[in-house]
Amino acid sequence: MYKNILAAVNEFTNSEIAARYAIALAKSCQARLSLVFVAEEKIGRDVFRHAESALERLFIEAEGQDIEVESITEKGDPLKKINDIVRGKNIDIVFTATRREDIQKRFFAKTLAREFMVKLPCSVAMVRVVRMGRIHPKNILVPLRANMTNLEERACFVAKLAQAFNSAVTLFYLTSPITSFFHGETYLNPAQREKHIPRDIENFTECLNRYDIHHEKKTGYGSVSRSITIEAAHRRNDLIVMGESERSLLRSIISGNPVEDVLRETPCNLIILRPEHEHR
Amino acid sequence: MKIQNLSKEEVLKSLLTSDNGLSEEDAKRRLHEYGLNEIKEVRKRPLYLRLISQFTHFLAILLWISAFLCFLSEYLHPGEGMLSLGLAVVGVIVINAIFTFIQEYRAEKAVEALKRLLPFNVKVLRDGSVREIPAREVVPGDVFLLSEGDKVSADARLIEANRLMINNAPLTGESESKPRSYKPFEGDYLESPNIVFAGTLVVSGNGTATAFATGMSTEFGKIAHLTSAVEPGLSPLQKEILKVTKIIAVIALTTGIFFFGIGTVTGRSFWHNLLFAIGITIANVPEGLLPTVTLSLAMGSQRMARKKALIRTLTSVETLGSVTVICTDKTGTLTQNKMEVERIWTASDGTKVPPYPLCGKDMEGFSSYNRLITTAHLCNNAVYENGKYKGDPTEIAMLKAAREISDGIQSERIAEIPFDSERKRMTTVNVIHGETLVLTKGALETVLPLCSGILMDKEFKALDDESKKSLTTIYHSMMDDGLRVMAFAFKNIEPAHGMNMMQAEDLLEKDLVFVGLMGLEDPPRPEVPEAIKKCREAGIKVIMITGDASRTAVAIAKQIGLVKGMPAVIEGYEMDTKSDSSLREVLLSEEIIFARMSPRHKMRIVSVLQDEGERVAVTGDGVNDAPALKKADIGISMGIMGTDVAREAADMVLLDDNFATIVNAIEEGRTIFENIKKFITYIFAHGTPEAIPYIMFSIFKIPLPLTVMQILAIDLGTETIPALALGAEPPEAAIMRSPSRSSKITSPVKSGKKEIIDSFLLIRGYVFIGLISTIGVLFVYFYVLFKGGWQWGTVLPIDNPLTRQASTATFLGIVIMQIGNVFACRSSHESMFRLGIFSNKLVIIGIVVEVILSSFIIYHPFGNKIFGTAPLGLDVWLILIPFSALLLFAEEIRKAYIRRYK
Repeated sequence: MYKNILAAVNEFTNSEIAARYAIALAKSCQARLSLVFVAEEKIGRDVFRHAESALERLFIEAEGQDIEVESITEKGDPLKKINDIVRGKNIDIVFTATRREDIQKRFFAKTLAREFMVKLPCSVAMVRVVRMGRIHPKNILVPLRANMTNLEERACFVAKLAQAFNSAVTLFYLTSPITSFFHGETYLNPAQREKHIPRDIENFTECLNRYDIHHEKKTGYGSVSRSITIEAAHRRNDLIVMGESERSLLRSIISGNPVEDVLRETPCNLIILRPEHEHR
Repeated sequence: MKIQNLSKEEVLKSLLTSDNGLSEEDAKRRLHEYGLNEIKEVRKRPLYLRLISQFTHFLAILLWISAFLCFLSEYLHPGEGMLSLGLAVVGVIVINAIFTFIQEYRAEKAVEALKRLLPFNVKVLRDGSVREIPAREVVPGDVFLLSEGDKVSADARLIEANRLMINNAPLTGESESKPRSYKPFEGDYLESPNIVFAGTLVVSGNGTATAFATGMSTEFGKIAHLTSAVEPGLSPLQKEILKVTKIIAVIALTTGIFFFGIGTVTGRSFWHNLLFAIGITIANVPEGLLPTVTLSLAMGSQRMARKKALIRTLTSVETLGSVTVICTDKTGTLTQNKMEVERIWTASDGTKVPPYPLCGKDMEGFSSYNRLITTAHLCNNAVYENGKYKGDPTEIAMLKAAREISDGIQSERIAEIPFDSERKRMTTVNVIHGETLVLTKGALETVLPLCSGILMDKEFKALDDESKKSLTTIYHSMMDDGLRVMAFAFKNIEPAHGMNMMQAEDLLEKDLVFVGLMGLEDPPRPEVPEAIKKCREAGIKVIMITGDASRTAVAIAKQIGLVKGMPAVIEGYEMDTKSDSSLREVLLSEEIIFARMSPRHKMRIVSVLQDEGERVAVTGDGVNDAPALKKADIGISMGIMGTDVAREAADMVLLDDNFATIVNAIEEGRTIFENIKKFITYIFAHGTPEAIPYIMFSIFKIPLPLTVMQILAIDLGTETIPALALGAEPPEAAIMRSPSRSSKITSPVKSGKKEIIDSFLLIRGYVFIGLISTIGVLFVYFYVLFKGGWQWGTVLPIDNPLTRQASTATFLGIVIMQIGNVFACRSSHESMFRLGIFSNKLVIIGIVVEVILSSFIIYHPFGNKIFGTAPLGLDVWLILIPFSALLLFAEEIRKAYIRRYK
């Protein structure tokens, strides 16, 4: 599905690790990979050297895996330059890493990662790296919700990543208990909850089946972000892949933003995917 | 390729570091990227919101509305005491909110206790030179040095190791230290000998490691995350109280609206009707319920503390009563944690049972016994110092037995291959009287394959397949008797040979001579079989979770009556491959044992059980038990063996580590639930005699039968101590013979779920007892009126002395009827005479206090002024006593009927 993948690289190690996910996806999709470093004005020589070294390492790694890869270094505004490359090279998906200070800002206001998510005319995978070293997700946790858009792309992304790493996939769906005035909350057991799984999630499962990806379905109750991080920590997931938040700023202020909360508290690496068609 | 699979060079490359460590500049950048290497608590609801929620839950809102209605009523119709009632209601809300907040707000110290396990400083290589930095500044890629006594600061891959031994107890719960190596390892990450984890301790040796995970992304951080992220929901009692509140709200509002309608139909004015509706609504709100429940729980927790169960959260007192499954550790909880050698087997002498009947020849040079005892003594890291044994309980037991038999053996240990859970064996090379011996002990499945011969009648014999099979049979039969069985082997080597072979484990542990088996037993606690029986009768499933082998676990389970047939046994390694659904199926079995388990599996077991609607109590003592303790409905930590982290994460601490104490606490919890039902019946019963005279006042224009202040005096005054006394009722005989009030969530009816308020309680309280009380109350009210010369239809003002006397008579009527009621409510089906009239002394004290308080209100001028009462003659008291007796008699008949026919 993805033919052209771009990984934005900078002087930080987390961008290098994020790019390794891009390499894995490129290998799995047999896609062309562009490793891009955009040097902002006034950056120091050290920063430049670090980023160039990262590009070189990644290039060698990708080439070693028989991936068609190119390395691009530009100077200027990262958003503008990458936007140009995306348009010029028909990029399907961009991998970018969040930085620690990004997640400390509420709703990612004014962060480059958010700008990428909002403004790039392609799918964006925003990677939060909490663990260094080689990436080898053994079990990917995929939290899902009802009324998902771009099911095919989401499923393809998860499936191709899982294929790349030979990972198991756990689909995680959180629901609410049945409530009545007098009896309060009634909790269903997992077998009963399975019967109430929304059609969207069933469709997602069918998509995964088409890619022949082994997966387990899990349902649960509770606060969305808290349940996701607990599940990931408890079941020792190595990677969480989830969709971007669709909550408005107002709703996020009033009732919180689970995606933002997961980003802050994730116990393992996290990819937030914004599929292309949702914004086109 | 995973970090444990990589070579040293690959590790350094993948972490973008080198032998010389990071540069200062790199480290600074990475610190900026990954943050400080520290354990943090996950974000929680701010404290002020938690305090506010105590004022905004449903019952509080109901009380706020009541208070508002009182103030409205005071505003519309001043001088009827509604202001005082309103203020009293606000007082109840505030006091209760603060009390509950203090009780529920327990400083989360579990994460603090975890933090204490991490080091303050660490030696790292930066730009090629060693620097000591604060541990919180370690970043991924940092190369740090480890030496004896150090705590590991981050999850790291070893790149050098020199006889490095690490104690992983905080992570795995295993007390034995493990040897670590820098070599690539193909197995599981957590079991990998080339990984060191944050929070663990270097016991000996030294090494160099490069960090790959810091702070909350370490394994230790995950424990902290789970411990602080798992938040308990509403307790069963809180849910029930919420439900009760809703029922009360509906009853109160319906009654108010109903009588407002009646008033309108009968032609009363709007304001009159509104005031009346407000009055009747408020009369139906049991202002005293919340403080009584809270005090009852507090008293319950004190009683539990006397039974060696320390309750850390008040609501847990009652939650205990609803437990349907107990997941318990074996060692120390079901057993005494006093390992003893129970049996010794050698090929020459067969089985011997202590006290060891040894004669001189048994210990002569080459006898099997001699070799076995020598091996048990020397291939052992336990020590006997200053009259005390120190070390692992199993090794202590072996050393103790060996010392008793052999009276001490002198030797020099020249090499050791330590025990670890992967190899399941330990080997030492010792020199005894110039003879160099390789001595091995361990699980038979790991020792037997290393043996080529067996020592029998002081001769070496070849060990063929047949002999191996029969040894295995003996081994299994010992395990089936609940023994932890150790196999022993040895061989003689040339002294120089031994020294050279120190590094060659494979050669040392080859061609050994099998000498025998030693069976050790950790005897069950004597109280446990009875406690297990109680659980069985009470419908509580007990699941044993142990690190022991399955055969030993099953045998112990049989000894204590935990299993009768062949239980479902799940071993630790199966947990990683089993899906939740298949685990769920196993958990449906009647009898289940989890063997060779690691504490990290506990949380999953608890989660799956809870998903199926069970209320789960789980025991734990280690650091990594903390998440399971937090996740369970009741986390129980061990007071003696438990770590600080486990104690801080638990809801209850067992001061004696004894399983029987859990069962006693459950009994107390169930009793408290039943007692809450009792005092709710008691409290509800006064609603009818308060409401009916009030209704009659409105409809028939009789003198005011009860003032608001008098209602308040009953609800928050005279009834409090008798209600609390009901909360202190001892357990009824059958309390542990009925099934648990299950939380089977999908079908409350089918599961026989007991609720605090059910139709039986409502009918008994409001209708049966309530109406009998009303008869007595109205009788005495009219008695006083008619005796004072009142005639039907005469309107008397509120401050008329006769009105005051009549309302005082109503007040006293309710008080006296409630004295009969308190005895009736002591059991819903058991005769008061069988229970014993004086068996609950607090009831008697409550009645005495109630009478004194009522007398003060009725006879003291101050009481008269505050409550609008007037003194009454003795005749009024005497008239009421038979009515109270009638109530008790009627209840006795009802109970007898229930006992006979239901």
